[in-house]
Amino acid sequence: MTILTGKAEARRKLQPEGSGVLRKIWEHRADYAYVLPAIAVMLIVIAYPIYYTIELSFFNTPPGLQLRDKIFIGLDNYTAILTSPVFWTVTSNTLIWTFGSTLISFVLGFACALALHRDFVGRGILRAILIIPWVISAVAASYIWKWIYHSDFGIIGAVLVGLGLADRPPNFIDSVSTVLPSLIVVNIWREFPFAMIMMMAGLQTVPDQLLRAAKVDGANAWQRFWHVTFPHLRNVSTVTILLLAVANFNSFIIPWIMTGGGPSNASHIWITHIYELAFGRQRWGVASAYSVLLFLILMSFGYFYVRALSGNERKDGSA
Amino acid sequence: MSTIAETALRGKARRRMRIDGWRWGGRIFLVFMMLYTALPMIWMLITSIKSGFAAMQFPPQWWPDQPTLASYEKLLDPQNSVGQDFLRFFWNSLFVSTATTILSVIVAVPAAYAFSRFTFPGRNFLFFAVLLRNMFPAVIFLVPLFILMRAIGLVNTHASLVLTYLTFGLPLAIWLLKGFYDNIPVQLEQAARIDGATRFQAFVLIVMPLSTPGIIATAIYSFIGAWNEYIYAYTFLSKNEQLTLPVGIQRFFSENTTDFPGLMAASFMMSVPVVVLFLVLQRYFVRALTEGAVKH
Repeated sequence: MTILTGKAEARRKLQPEGSGVLRKIWEHRADYAYVLPAIAVMLIVIAYPIYYTIELSFFNTPPGLQLRDKIFIGLDNYTAILTSPVFWTVTSNTLIWTFGSTLISFVLGFACALALHRDFVGRGILRAILIIPWVISAVAASYIWKWIYHSDFGIIGAVLVGLGLADRPPNFIDSVSTVLPSLIVVNIWREFPFAMIMMMAGLQTVPDQLLRAAKVDGANAWQRFWHVTFPHLRNVSTVTILLLAVANFNSFIIPWIMTGGGPSNASHIWITHIYELAFGRQRWGVASAYSVLLFLILMSFGYFYVRALSGNERKDGSA
Repeated sequence: MSTIAETALRGKARRRMRIDGWRWGGRIFLVFMMLYTALPMIWMLITSIKSGFAAMQFPPQWWPDQPTLASYEKLLDPQNSVGQDFLRFFWNSLFVSTATTILSVIVAVPAAYAFSRFTFPGRNFLFFAVLLRNMFPAVIFLVPLFILMRAIGLVNTHASLVLTYLTFGLPLAIWLLKGFYDNIPVQLEQAARIDGATRFQAFVLIVMPLSTPGIIATAIYSFIGAWNEYIYAYTFLSKNEQLTLPVGIQRFFSENTTDFPGLMAASFMMSVPVVVLFLVLQRYFVRALTEGAVKH
């Protein structure tokens, strides 16, 4: 924002003799031409929606999108959210979903990266197969797994019955107690390849001399991993975990298509809940207040993300 | 990026270092992950070649008695209504994704270059704003964007999708491309400048050709993102003839939830273009994705 006003002022003032900042802006005026289209797009589709969401969160809005009839109610939407019992269900679901998916995806992806780091016949093909779930559409993935979990014809149920572990196929996604873990399995299926890619790239940067030196000093494989490889991957691990956490926190498609948040809110997470409030129940004000809270939470994620990234750059010496 | 010689050396050293228990543990683990990854996709393919009747049996047939391509024929047959819809969704997806990709790249290339090379006031603020955008989910932009689109008359048009897809395509494209530009030596441009090129000429004639792999990777990423996008399309489009594949498939089968072979065939067909694109150009793609995060 400050940049834009600054620029407008610079344009009005065609002489480069202004104060320090303005002069610098004027001197760099040609540079802005490169980023201007990007900024224009971002203002329309990002800055404006954020502003409008904040505004709406203070209003009571009638159903339908007749938003001219909205009534200012201050912080009532926020109090309504925080005192609603659904809020706590949805929040605890979101935490389980985010932490469970992120940790397991990261561990599995990292382990795959380590196992694939050695060269062997068929490594390239194996790697490509492991990445595919991440590329295909989450909608397709949701339908595939919905079919796998199907309570009458699902293949997991059939295997469990066949092995004598169950009398009849379990209702994986139709039962309050199993729905969230079942969806997390699907989510991990789609997400671990991302962690794998990131960690594979990270592993390539671990200097061999260090590992050899550790070996000479008598460190075993585990010690070499724990004391040499892992500390070296701290930055890339942080970035990967943060990106996974944000992506999982923001998930929509898998829970929405597989269960729609049900049964009885057991698989509703923040994002699906917001969507339902807005487009299902047309409570735009409450949905907007939720969005603002979400925004604040994500900003704190963002703070750590930027810190992790700039940590990288400092090491690189290029920032 | 290490040289081939370095990689070979590293491989040898590692082979000597690794003890057998770890190697076998790693192999067993990889087999397990391979099954976890591949079995759902194989089951999708097997189901897609069953008849509707064969799919509805318990216990399931591991391999259909009478494999049939009927589901695929139906989807690809422009003569019947299912095929008409499916092919239309397919073209809609192709159009929206291609348009998004082209626009993202055109807008992101100069912006990423500027973020990589110039030090104009506000550069860091703007770049972090770009980075932060990747954190925000589509859902919190939906209501205002829906209202905006309605105000400018773009609801129920593909243009509304292309414009909103830039919300996630553009920040990512800028981020990926900046990583590439950071790795192109500035000296190349300086040499061109000394030979009399303007800064813009140096950018177009020297830097752009060198960053082709980055541009390709960015384009694939934008394309895959747009191809798989669901929420905006689900919210902004209502007419059957406009839907993109992810939403189209859903509309399609919500009426007939028992046609799992058809649903699996459609899921497969929807995945083919992006998987092929990805596998062919994997190298560029993975490099672009990881460039920024693993620098040391």
